[in-house]
Amino acid sequence: MGCSGSVPARSSGQSGGLNNLENAGSSDAKNLRVKLVLLGDSGVGKSCIVLRFVRGQFDPTSKVTVGASFLSQTIALQDSTTVKFEIWDTAGQERYAALAPLYYRGAAVAVVVYDITSPDSFNKAQYWVKELQKHGSPDIVMALVGNKADLHEKREVPAQDGIEYAEKNGMFFIETSAKTADNINQLFEEIAKRLPRPSPSS
Amino acid sequence: MDTSSSSSASAAAPSAVTFYDFLDRMRNPASLDLVRSIKSFIVSFSFNNANPENDGKRVQEFFTTMESAIKDHPLWANATIEAIESAMEGLEKYVMTKLFSRTFASTSEDVKIDQEISEKICLLQTFLRPEHLDIPTFLQNEASWLLAEKELQKINALKAPREKVLCIMNCCRIINNLLLNASISENVELGGADDFLPVLIYIIIKANPPQLHSNIKFIQLYRRQAMLVSEAAYYFTNLVSAKTFILDLNAKSLSMEETEFEKSMQAARLANKVTLIEESTTSNGIKTLGEQGHPERHDVTRIEASAMSNDRKSLEEQRRVGPSQRIYGNNTITSGGYGYPFMEAEASRLTTGDVEKLLSVYKDVVRKYTNLCRAVRHVSVPMTVAPIPHFEGNNSSFKQPATKTSASTDSKRGE
Ligand SMILES: Nc1nc2c(ncn2[C@@H]2O[C@H](COP(=O)(O)OP(=O)(O)O)[C@@H](O)[C@H]2O)c(=O)[nH]1
Ligand SMILES: [Mg+2]
Repeated sequence: MGCSGSVPARSSGQSGGLNNLENAGSSDAKNLRVKLVLLGDSGVGKSCIVLRFVRGQFDPTSKVTVGASFLSQTIALQDSTTVKFEIWDTAGQERYAALAPLYYRGAAVAVVVYDITSPDSFNKAQYWVKELQKHGSPDIVMALVGNKADLHEKREVPAQDGIEYAEKNGMFFIETSAKTADNINQLFEEIAKRLPRPSPSS
Repeated sequence: MDTSSSSSASAAAPSAVTFYDFLDRMRNPASLDLVRSIKSFIVSFSFNNANPENDGKRVQEFFTTMESAIKDHPLWANATIEAIESAMEGLEKYVMTKLFSRTFASTSEDVKIDQEISEKICLLQTFLRPEHLDIPTFLQNEASWLLAEKELQKINALKAPREKVLCIMNCCRIINNLLLNASISENVELGGADDFLPVLIYIIIKANPPQLHSNIKFIQLYRRQAMLVSEAAYYFTNLVSAKTFILDLNAKSLSMEETEFEKSMQAARLANKVTLIEESTTSNGIKTLGEQGHPERHDVTRIEASAMSNDRKSLEEQRRVGPSQRIYGNNTITSGGYGYPFMEAEASRLTTGDVEKLLSVYKDVVRKYTNLCRAVRHVSVPMTVAPIPHFEGNNSSFKQPATKTSASTDSKRGE
């Protein structure tokens, strides 16, 4: 159950393995390397979203990557550029909330996740957005994600609330289901499109 | 290819072999200009007092300058990116080993924070259980935890920033394997950071790695910036985060009654004090380490203060044994049989009133024995990362013919 459902068919993107210098952190106009931090209450589906994204493009039997709190995945965009997401999971328990700045410092992307069946988690998401606005890097790309969209009969946060809040705060908004894989790839593709690109000359 | 495991494998690539390769190249007459730059940079450091932030910036700038110099250098003409990379790793190791005593734990402020963390951990060790951090029982695996602790403790024995980072990575990898295996055998979904961070925190508390703050700061300042990225940066950040959590830890940080927390801390402090008083009135064993001792201070202080000048290995040992000994209060600072009143006793003479005392002595012995075993194992385990060759005070090591085997023996570590 949960995120361990069937592997979705990929419409775009290809597996990574950019080159053997991945670790050196080279990032140029054609091949971006971005740090993405995940924020949100425990249980909203952060891990599942990432696993879905990472497994979707890879051999689902490659267990090594599964469950790690750090994962990376490269996607190819239409314009033949690639984006390598380095995904930083954060502990969602309340007692670690004060440590979050250590993780989102220097992040190019913050994905703030809530569960559409839990208004509490939506409140927490708003808390994270405010905190990022105050303390995150000013050009950080923020996405607001309403997850567990498959549980529509239990929905307690109307999609409209998410849309409006995101619009007001200049964020990208999407509802996803890590269970059915709905909108998971779109989430990362949309983020990739919004990333500021280094000028080709550099 | 694009997984976390692959990037960590490449992070571990440059080994001792490439370091000797670097030294060899530096002995080549053609690299005289580089050698001069390196030496004059190292010498220039001795002119000023330690100033960590500034020193860090200078070293990083030097690395950048040297990278371009190496790229343009005839000795590296047509060299692969990997070859240049390994030369840079060699350079970092060489420079930071030379500058180590000048740059590591170089301010009294740092020494103080190291002490503060270490003392806090000593107190926590007396009562903290995995449940207090909501670590589920299926993740409580003593064997894995001990392995992870050992990896972490190696951090203080190494001088090259990269090798210190590798200790962190190894520790975190062991935790990750544990999480993965546990989730498979228990058939539960993985918790990611929700599971990882609490386990790391608990392992740090169990391990009480010496000079944690200084090690972190050293990596932050002196690991080449371009290399402290990706997975390494993530796990490093988790270590920083765990350290912060421990420093700030109060009654509200744990799944535990606040009054119980306060009581436990108080009891731990008291036990600490009792032992310290005993220490200052006893004149054997560990006591000799703290000749200049201040009775009101922890022995950790004295051990750490002398750590720079004395044989590190035996200090490590003392350090491992020290904290937990203190925690258990009475009769701990003893050698020989003096502290064990039943050594001469006969079974027929024992009374039921002796049971309590016997039991407590028994526990004390077992604890000491366990600690000793750990310390011995810790000392004798071969390093999984390359040991640091020993550079003696002068700068002549580039010129001398390679003495590869002797330079890498464990016994030569530390100056
Ligand atoms: N129905 C449904 N359940 C989900 C979805 N995503 C996650 N879950 C479940 O929610 C629980 C928490 O997910 P997890 O990814 O561990 O949340 P995290 O704490 O934010 O990382 C798990 O039991 C998942 O199976 C989803 O899209 N739909
Ligand atoms: Mg999670």
